[in-house]
Amino acid sequence: MADITAIRHRIKSINDTHQITKAMELISVSKMRKMMNKQAYSSLYFDSVRYTVKDILRHSPDVRNKYTMRRSGGRAAYVVIAGDKGLAGSFNNNILNLAWKHMQDYPVHYVITIGQMARAFFESKKQPVDLEFTHAVTNPTLHDARGIVRDILDLYDKNLMDEVFVVFTHMHSSSNYAPEIVKLLPIEEQDIRAEVNTTYSGDIYYDPSPREVLDVLVPQYLIGMIYTTLIHSASSEHAARMVAMTSANKNAEKMLETLNLEYNRLRQGAITSELLDLTSGKFFYESTVRRGHKKE
Amino acid sequence: MPNKFYLEIITPEKTFYRGDVESIQIPAVGGDCMIMAGHQPMVFATQPGMIAITTDGQRREAFMSEGFIEVRPDATIAFSQAVEWPEDIDERRAEEAKERAEEMVRRNRSAAEYRLNRIALQRAFARLRVKHHEYGDKS
Repeated sequence: MADITAIRHRIKSINDTHQITKAMELISVSKMRKMMNKQAYSSLYFDSVRYTVKDILRHSPDVRNKYTMRRSGGRAAYVVIAGDKGLAGSFNNNILNLAWKHMQDYPVHYVITIGQMARAFFESKKQPVDLEFTHAVTNPTLHDARGIVRDILDLYDKNLMDEVFVVFTHMHSSSNYAPEIVKLLPIEEQDIRAEVNTTYSGDIYYDPSPREVLDVLVPQYLIGMIYTTLIHSASSEHAARMVAMTSANKNAEKMLETLNLEYNRLRQGAITSELLDLTSGKFFYESTVRRGHKKE
Repeated sequence: MPNKFYLEIITPEKTFYRGDVESIQIPAVGGDCMIMAGHQPMVFATQPGMIAITTDGQRREAFMSEGFIEVRPDATIAFSQAVEWPEDIDERRAEEAKERAEEMVRRNRSAAEYRLNRIALQRAFARLRVKHHEYGDKS
Protein backbone atom coordinates (compact mmCIF):
# COMPACT_ATOMS: atom_id res chain seq x y z
CA MET A 1 0.00 0.00 0.00
CA ALA A 2 2.89 2.38 0.75
CA ASP A 3 4.07 1.75 -2.79
CA ILE A 4 0.90 3.04 -4.30
CA THR A 5 1.04 6.37 -2.47
CA ALA A 6 4.71 6.76 -3.36
CA ILE A 7 3.90 6.26 -7.02
CA ARG A 8 0.99 8.66 -6.79
CA HIS A 9 3.36 11.27 -5.37
CA ARG A 10 5.87 10.74 -8.14
CA ILE A 11 3.20 11.01 -10.80
CA LYS A 12 2.05 14.29 -9.34
CA SER A 13 5.52 15.79 -9.12
CA ILE A 14 6.41 14.70 -12.66
CA ASN A 15 3.15 16.17 -13.86
CA ASP A 16 4.04 19.50 -12.25
CA THR A 17 7.50 19.55 -13.81
CA HIS A 18 6.00 18.57 -17.13
CA GLN A 19 3.71 21.55 -16.98
CA ILE A 20 6.61 23.89 -16.29
CA THR A 21 8.75 22.53 -19.12
CA LYS A 22 5.79 22.71 -21.46
CA ALA A 23 5.24 26.37 -20.61
CA MET A 24 8.96 27.09 -21.01
CA GLU A 25 8.95 25.47 -24.41
CA LEU A 26 6.06 27.62 -25.59
CA ILE A 27 7.68 30.76 -24.23
CA SER A 28 10.96 29.93 -25.96
CA VAL A 29 9.19 29.37 -29.25
CA SER A 30 7.46 32.73 -29.18
CA LYS A 31 10.56 34.59 -27.96
CA MET A 32 12.67 32.98 -30.63
CA ARG A 33 10.20 34.06 -33.30
CA LYS A 34 10.27 37.62 -32.00
CA MET A 35 14.06 37.69 -32.00
CA MET A 36 14.26 36.29 -35.51
CA ASN A 37 11.91 39.00 -36.70
CA LYS A 38 14.08 41.63 -35.11
CA GLN A 39 17.10 40.04 -36.70
CA ALA A 40 15.55 40.18 -40.14
CA TYR A 41 14.99 43.93 -39.87
CA SER A 42 18.33 44.73 -38.38
CA SER A 43 20.29 42.62 -40.82
CA LEU A 44 18.80 44.59 -43.70
CA TYR A 45 20.28 47.70 -42.17
CA PHE A 46 23.58 46.49 -40.81
CA ASP A 47 24.46 44.34 -43.82
CA SER A 48 24.42 47.52 -45.88
CA VAL A 49 26.57 49.30 -43.32
CA ARG A 50 29.03 46.42 -43.41
CA TYR A 51 29.02 46.35 -47.17
CA THR A 52 29.69 50.06 -47.47
CA VAL A 53 32.51 49.96 -44.93
CA LYS A 54 34.03 47.07 -46.82
CA ASP A 55 33.66 48.90 -50.10
CA ILE A 56 35.44 51.97 -48.77
CA LEU A 57 38.25 49.91 -47.27
CA ARG A 58 38.72 48.02 -50.49
CA HIS A 59 38.59 50.88 -52.94
CA SER A 60 40.29 53.59 -50.95
CA PRO A 61 43.33 51.97 -49.37
CA ASP A 62 44.64 55.32 -48.17
CA VAL A 63 41.51 56.17 -46.21
CA ARG A 64 41.90 55.01 -42.67
CA ASN A 65 40.31 55.57 -39.33
CA LYS A 66 41.89 54.97 -35.95
CA TYR A 67 39.71 51.89 -35.56
CA THR A 68 40.92 50.33 -38.78
CA MET A 69 44.60 50.58 -37.88
CA ARG A 70 46.28 47.41 -36.79
CA ARG A 71 48.12 47.68 -33.49
CA SER A 72 51.13 45.58 -32.70
CA GLY A 73 51.18 43.61 -29.49
CA GLY A 74 49.16 40.62 -28.47
CA ARG A 75 46.74 42.07 -25.97
CA ALA A 76 43.26 40.85 -26.67
CA ALA A 77 39.89 41.60 -25.18
CA TYR A 78 37.01 39.19 -25.33
CA VAL A 79 33.37 40.10 -25.33
CA VAL A 80 31.69 36.88 -24.32
CA ILE A 81 27.95 36.71 -24.86
CA ALA A 82 26.16 33.91 -23.00
CA GLY A 83 22.73 33.56 -21.45
CA ASP A 84 21.31 34.83 -18.20
CA LYS A 85 19.81 31.48 -17.33
CA GLY A 86 20.65 27.82 -17.66
CA LEU A 87 18.20 25.13 -18.74
CA ALA A 88 19.18 25.53 -22.35
CA GLY A 89 21.04 22.32 -23.04
CA SER A 90 24.70 22.82 -23.86
CA PHE A 91 24.21 26.37 -25.14
CA ASN A 92 26.14 28.15 -22.39
CA ASN A 93 28.79 25.45 -22.11
CA ASN A 94 29.61 25.46 -25.81
CA ILE A 95 30.10 29.19 -26.02
CA LEU A 96 32.07 29.51 -22.79
CA ASN A 97 34.38 26.63 -23.56
CA LEU A 98 35.15 28.03 -26.99
CA ALA A 99 35.98 31.40 -25.48
CA TRP A 100 38.13 29.79 -22.81
CA LYS A 101 40.09 27.74 -25.34
CA HIS A 102 40.71 30.73 -27.61
CA MET A 103 41.86 32.82 -24.68
CA GLN A 104 44.68 30.49 -23.78
CA ASP A 105 46.55 31.63 -26.92
CA TYR A 106 46.75 35.19 -25.64
CA PRO A 107 48.80 35.67 -22.49
CA VAL A 108 47.33 39.11 -21.83
CA HIS A 109 43.62 39.29 -22.15
CA TYR A 110 40.66 41.16 -20.84
CA VAL A 111 37.28 39.64 -20.36
CA ILE A 112 34.02 41.49 -20.90
CA THR A 113 30.99 39.40 -20.14
CA ILE A 114 27.42 39.84 -21.23
CA GLY A 115 25.01 37.62 -19.32
CA GLN A 116 25.03 36.08 -15.84
CA MET A 117 26.19 32.64 -16.94
CA ALA A 118 29.32 34.04 -18.56
CA ARG A 119 30.29 35.90 -15.41
CA ALA A 120 29.68 32.85 -13.22
CA PHE A 121 31.81 30.73 -15.54
CA PHE A 122 34.84 33.01 -15.44
CA GLU A 123 34.53 33.43 -11.71
CA SER A 124 34.67 29.69 -11.25
CA LYS A 125 37.77 29.59 -13.47
CA LYS A 126 39.40 32.30 -11.35
CA GLN A 127 39.58 34.61 -14.34
CA PRO A 128 38.86 38.18 -13.29
CA VAL A 129 36.08 39.82 -15.25
CA ASP A 130 36.98 43.35 -16.28
CA LEU A 131 33.61 44.60 -17.38
CA GLU A 132 30.18 43.07 -17.23
CA PHE A 133 26.79 43.76 -18.69
CA THR A 134 23.92 41.80 -17.23
CA HIS A 135 20.80 43.39 -18.61
CA ALA A 136 21.41 43.19 -22.35
CA VAL A 137 20.82 39.50 -22.93
CA THR A 138 17.13 38.79 -22.62
CA ASN A 139 15.88 41.59 -24.80
CA PRO A 140 18.72 43.37 -26.59
CA THR A 141 17.99 46.89 -27.78
CA LEU A 142 19.98 49.33 -29.85
CA HIS A 143 20.37 51.40 -26.73
CA ASP A 144 22.13 48.52 -24.96
CA ALA A 145 24.37 47.98 -27.96
CA ARG A 146 25.30 51.68 -28.00
CA GLY A 147 26.24 51.58 -24.32
CA ILE A 148 28.35 48.48 -24.74
CA VAL A 149 30.18 49.90 -27.77
CA ARG A 150 30.86 53.15 -25.92
CA ASP A 151 32.40 51.32 -22.98
CA ILE A 152 34.51 49.08 -25.18
CA LEU A 153 35.78 52.02 -27.24
CA ASP A 154 36.63 53.79 -24.02
CA LEU A 155 38.98 50.97 -23.07
CA TYR A 156 40.29 50.67 -26.61
CA ASP A 157 41.03 54.39 -26.81
CA LYS A 158 43.03 54.18 -23.60
CA ASN A 159 45.27 51.74 -25.48
CA LEU A 160 44.64 48.86 -23.11
CA MET A 161 44.19 46.28 -25.85
CA ASP A 162 45.18 45.63 -29.45
CA GLU A 163 42.36 43.42 -30.60
CA VAL A 164 38.77 42.87 -29.54
CA PHE A 165 36.98 39.61 -30.20
CA VAL A 166 33.33 38.87 -29.81
CA VAL A 167 32.37 35.33 -28.84
CA PHE A 168 28.75 34.64 -29.61
CA THR A 169 26.41 31.98 -30.93
CA HIS A 170 25.63 32.38 -34.58
CA MET A 171 22.11 31.45 -35.56
CA HIS A 172 21.98 29.95 -39.04
CA SER A 173 18.46 28.60 -38.67
CA SER A 174 16.18 27.59 -35.84
CA SER A 175 17.81 24.16 -35.66
CA ASN A 176 21.34 25.13 -36.61
CA TYR A 177 23.39 27.41 -34.38
CA ALA A 178 27.03 27.27 -33.41
CA PRO A 179 29.43 29.28 -31.26
CA GLU A 180 31.67 31.60 -33.21
CA ILE A 181 34.43 34.15 -32.69
CA VAL A 182 34.56 37.34 -34.74
CA LYS A 183 37.01 40.19 -34.58
CA LEU A 184 35.42 43.50 -33.69
CA LEU A 185 38.47 45.73 -33.60
CA PRO A 186 40.50 46.70 -35.48
CA ILE A 187 38.20 46.67 -38.47
CA GLU A 188 39.83 44.87 -41.38
CA GLU A 189 38.45 44.22 -44.79
CA GLN A 190 38.88 40.45 -44.75
CA ASP A 191 36.96 40.14 -41.48
CA ILE A 192 33.88 41.84 -42.80
CA ARG A 193 31.29 39.44 -44.00
CA ALA A 194 28.96 41.32 -46.27
CA GLU A 195 26.29 39.30 -47.98
CA VAL A 196 24.60 42.15 -49.78
CA ASN A 197 24.54 41.82 -53.54
CA THR A 198 24.24 45.32 -54.82
CA THR A 199 22.80 45.66 -58.26
CA TYR A 200 25.24 48.41 -59.03
CA SER A 201 28.90 47.55 -59.32
CA GLY A 202 30.39 50.72 -60.77
CA ASP A 203 32.38 53.29 -58.87
CA ILE A 204 30.54 55.12 -56.17
CA TYR A 205 31.47 58.62 -55.09
CA TYR A 206 31.51 59.48 -51.46
CA ASP A 207 30.33 62.81 -50.21
CA PRO A 208 31.99 64.81 -48.74
CA SER A 209 34.88 62.29 -48.84
CA PRO A 210 35.37 58.57 -48.21
CA ARG A 211 37.14 59.44 -44.99
CA GLU A 212 34.20 61.36 -43.59
CA VAL A 213 31.70 58.73 -44.65
CA LEU A 214 33.89 56.14 -42.96
CA ASP A 215 33.99 58.24 -39.78
CA VAL A 216 30.20 58.22 -39.69
CA LEU A 217 29.97 54.55 -40.56
CA VAL A 218 32.51 53.12 -38.14
CA PRO A 219 30.44 53.72 -34.97
CA GLN A 220 27.37 52.42 -36.81
CA TYR A 221 29.32 49.38 -37.86
CA LEU A 222 30.46 48.64 -34.31
CA ILE A 223 27.00 49.14 -32.86
CA GLY A 224 25.62 46.93 -35.58
CA MET A 225 28.13 44.19 -34.85
CA ILE A 226 27.29 44.17 -31.14
CA TYR A 227 23.56 44.42 -31.77
CA THR A 228 23.48 41.58 -34.28
CA THR A 229 25.65 39.32 -32.14
CA LEU A 230 23.39 40.03 -29.15
CA ILE A 231 20.33 39.17 -31.17
CA HIS A 232 21.93 36.06 -32.63
CA SER A 233 22.87 34.90 -29.16
CA ALA A 234 19.44 35.59 -27.75
CA SER A 235 17.63 33.73 -30.49
CA SER A 236 20.09 30.83 -30.29
CA GLU A 237 19.54 30.66 -26.56
CA HIS A 238 15.80 30.42 -27.04
CA ALA A 239 16.25 27.83 -29.78
CA ALA A 240 18.53 25.76 -27.54
CA ARG A 241 16.08 26.04 -24.66
CA MET A 242 13.26 25.03 -26.93
CA VAL A 243 15.09 21.85 -27.95
CA ALA A 244 16.05 21.08 -24.34
CA MET A 245 12.49 21.57 -23.18
CA THR A 246 11.07 19.45 -25.99
CA SER A 247 13.23 16.52 -24.94
CA ALA A 248 12.35 17.16 -21.29
CA ASN A 249 8.69 17.00 -22.25
CA LYS A 250 9.21 13.75 -24.09
CA ASN A 251 11.01 12.23 -21.13
CA ALA A 252 8.29 13.35 -18.76
CA GLU A 253 5.64 11.82 -20.99
CA LYS A 254 7.50 8.54 -21.17
CA MET A 255 7.97 8.43 -17.41
CA LEU A 256 4.35 9.28 -16.80
CA GLU A 257 3.29 6.47 -19.08
CA THR A 258 5.31 3.78 -17.28
CA LEU A 259 4.36 5.14 -13.88
CA ASN A 260 0.70 5.20 -14.76
CA LEU A 261 0.91 1.62 -15.94
CA GLU A 262 2.61 0.62 -12.73
CA TYR A 263 0.09 2.56 -10.69
CA ASN A 264 -2.86 0.95 -12.42
CA ARG A 265 -1.38 -2.50 -12.02
CA LEU A 266 -0.87 -1.96 -8.31
CA ARG A 267 -4.30 -0.48 -7.89
CA GLN A 268 -5.88 -3.40 -9.71
CA GLY A 269 -3.86 -5.82 -7.62
CA ALA A 270 -5.08 -4.09 -4.48
CA ILE A 271 -8.68 -4.26 -5.65
CA THR A 272 -8.34 -7.92 -6.57
CA SER A 273 -6.88 -8.84 -3.24
CA GLU A 274 -9.59 -6.86 -1.48
CA LEU A 275 -12.24 -8.67 -3.48
CA LEU A 276 -10.53 -11.93 -2.68
CA ASP A 277 -10.65 -11.05 1.00
CA LEU A 278 -14.32 -10.15 0.78
CA THR A 279 -15.39 -13.24 -1.12
CA SER A 280 -13.32 -15.59 1.00
CA GLY A 281 -14.76 -13.90 4.07
CA LYS A 282 -18.22 -14.37 2.68
CA PHE A 283 -17.56 -18.00 1.88
CA PHE A 284 -16.17 -18.52 5.34
CA TYR A 285 -19.16 -16.80 6.93
CA GLU A 286 -21.65 -18.67 4.84
CA SER A 287 -20.05 -22.00 5.50
CA THR A 288 -19.89 -21.39 9.27
CA VAL A 289 -23.45 -20.09 9.35
CA ARG A 290 -24.62 -23.11 7.39
CA ARG A 291 -22.65 -25.38 9.65
CA GLY A 292 -24.16 -23.70 12.69
CA HIS A 293 -27.58 -24.17 11.17
CA LYS A 294 -26.98 -27.83 10.76
CA LYS A 295 -25.88 -28.10 14.35
CA GLU A 296 -29.08 -26.65 15.64
CA MET B 1 5.51 66.04 -64.32
CA PRO B 2 8.90 65.63 -62.72
CA ASN B 3 10.74 62.34 -62.87
CA LYS B 4 10.47 60.05 -59.89
CA PHE B 5 12.88 57.64 -58.30
CA TYR B 6 12.50 54.82 -55.83
CA LEU B 7 13.34 55.72 -52.24
CA GLU B 8 13.69 53.53 -49.17
CA ILE B 9 14.44 54.75 -45.67
CA ILE B 10 15.60 51.98 -43.38
CA THR B 11 16.31 51.89 -39.65
CA PRO B 12 17.51 48.82 -37.71
CA GLU B 13 13.99 48.33 -36.40
CA LYS B 14 11.78 48.97 -39.37
CA THR B 15 11.44 50.25 -42.89
CA PHE B 16 10.38 53.84 -42.39
CA TYR B 17 9.53 54.80 -45.95
CA ARG B 18 9.23 53.03 -49.26
CA GLY B 19 7.95 54.47 -52.49
CA ASP B 20 8.53 56.62 -55.55
CA VAL B 21 9.38 60.23 -54.82
CA GLU B 22 10.33 63.34 -56.75
CA SER B 23 13.04 64.55 -54.45
CA ILE B 24 14.52 64.22 -51.02
CA GLN B 25 16.40 66.86 -49.13
CA ILE B 26 19.03 65.53 -46.77
CA PRO B 27 21.29 67.00 -44.07
CA ALA B 28 24.59 65.78 -45.51
CA VAL B 29 27.79 66.35 -43.56
CA GLY B 30 28.98 68.70 -46.27
CA GLY B 31 25.76 70.74 -46.16
CA ASP B 32 22.11 70.21 -47.08
CA CYS B 33 21.57 68.49 -50.42
CA MET B 34 18.59 67.80 -52.60
CA ILE B 35 18.55 64.51 -54.48
CA MET B 36 16.42 64.14 -57.56
CA ALA B 37 15.93 61.42 -60.12
CA GLY B 38 18.96 60.58 -62.24
CA HIS B 39 21.49 61.56 -59.58
CA GLN B 40 25.01 60.28 -59.92
CA PRO B 41 25.68 57.12 -57.82
CA MET B 42 26.99 58.37 -54.53
CA VAL B 43 27.11 57.77 -50.81
CA PHE B 44 26.39 60.72 -48.52
CA ALA B 45 27.16 60.80 -44.84
CA THR B 46 24.48 62.68 -42.96
CA GLN B 47 24.31 64.45 -39.63
CA PRO B 48 21.22 64.61 -37.42
CA GLY B 49 18.75 66.94 -39.04
CA MET B 50 15.63 67.33 -41.08
CA ILE B 51 14.80 65.45 -44.25
CA ALA B 52 12.08 66.54 -46.62
CA ILE B 53 10.46 64.15 -49.05
CA THR B 54 8.46 65.49 -51.98
CA THR B 55 5.93 63.33 -53.78
CA ASP B 56 3.36 64.71 -56.23
CA GLY B 57 4.11 68.23 -55.12
CA GLN B 58 3.47 67.32 -51.48
CA ARG B 59 6.36 68.01 -49.13
CA ARG B 60 6.72 66.03 -45.91
CA GLU B 61 9.35 66.64 -43.31
CA ALA B 62 10.84 64.19 -40.83
CA PHE B 63 13.67 63.96 -38.38
CA MET B 64 16.64 61.80 -39.29
CA SER B 65 19.52 60.90 -36.99
CA GLU B 66 23.08 60.45 -38.26
CA GLY B 67 23.48 57.88 -40.97
CA PHE B 68 24.19 57.63 -44.64
CA ILE B 69 22.37 57.65 -47.94
CA GLU B 70 23.23 55.49 -50.86
CA VAL B 71 22.21 56.74 -54.27
CA ARG B 72 22.19 53.98 -56.86
CA PRO B 73 20.84 54.04 -60.39
CA ASP B 74 17.91 51.80 -59.46
CA ALA B 75 17.13 52.99 -55.97
CA THR B 76 18.09 55.44 -53.30
CA ILE B 77 18.36 53.99 -49.83
CA ALA B 78 18.76 56.01 -46.66
CA PHE B 79 20.09 54.32 -43.54
CA SER B 80 19.76 55.87 -40.15
CA GLN B 81 19.40 54.68 -36.58
CA ALA B 82 16.32 56.81 -36.02
CA VAL B 83 13.85 58.44 -38.38
CA GLU B 84 10.65 59.98 -37.06
CA TRP B 85 7.67 61.87 -38.41
CA PRO B 86 6.96 65.10 -36.52
CA GLU B 87 3.89 63.58 -34.84
CA ASP B 88 5.99 60.71 -33.46
CA ILE B 89 8.62 62.92 -31.88
CA ASP B 90 8.44 63.01 -28.13
CA GLU B 91 8.96 66.69 -27.49
CA ARG B 92 9.54 66.41 -23.78
CA ARG B 93 12.15 63.72 -24.27
CA ALA B 94 13.93 65.77 -26.89
CA GLU B 95 13.84 68.81 -24.60
CA GLU B 96 15.33 66.79 -21.76
CA ALA B 97 17.96 65.31 -24.04
CA LYS B 98 18.86 68.83 -25.15
CA GLU B 99 19.34 70.04 -21.61
CA ARG B 100 21.35 66.98 -20.69
CA ALA B 101 23.57 67.37 -23.73
CA GLU B 102 24.07 71.09 -23.10
CA GLU B 103 25.11 70.35 -19.56
CA MET B 104 27.56 67.70 -20.76
CA VAL B 105 29.01 69.98 -23.42
CA ARG B 106 29.54 72.63 -20.77
CA ARG B 107 31.47 70.20 -18.61
CA ASN B 108 33.41 69.11 -21.66
CA ARG B 109 35.79 66.54 -20.28
CA SER B 110 37.55 64.95 -23.23
CA ALA B 111 37.61 65.42 -26.96
CA ALA B 112 35.82 62.15 -27.59
CA GLU B 113 33.11 63.03 -25.10
CA TYR B 114 32.77 66.45 -26.59
CA ARG B 115 32.11 64.93 -30.00
CA LEU B 116 29.52 62.52 -28.62
CA ASN B 117 27.73 65.24 -26.73
CA ARG B 118 27.77 67.57 -29.65
CA ILE B 119 26.07 64.94 -31.79
CA ALA B 120 23.53 64.31 -29.03
CA LEU B 121 22.82 68.01 -28.84
CA GLN B 122 22.50 68.21 -32.60
CA ARG B 123 20.03 65.33 -32.52
CA ALA B 124 17.90 67.02 -29.87
CA PHE B 125 17.89 70.32 -31.74
CA ALA B 126 16.94 68.65 -35.00
CA ARG B 127 14.04 66.79 -33.35
CA LEU B 128 12.70 70.00 -31.83
CA ARG B 129 13.10 71.90 -35.06
CA VAL B 130 11.16 69.31 -37.06
CA LYS B 131 8.46 69.19 -34.40
CA HIS B 132 8.00 72.95 -34.31
CA HIS B 133 8.08 73.26 -38.06
CA GLU B 134 5.02 71.05 -38.17
CA TYR B 135 3.12 73.24 -35.75
CA GLY B 136 4.14 76.34 -37.64
CA ASP B 137 2.59 75.00 -40.83
CA LYS B 138 -0.75 74.28 -39.20
CA SER B 139 -1.36 77.59 -37.45
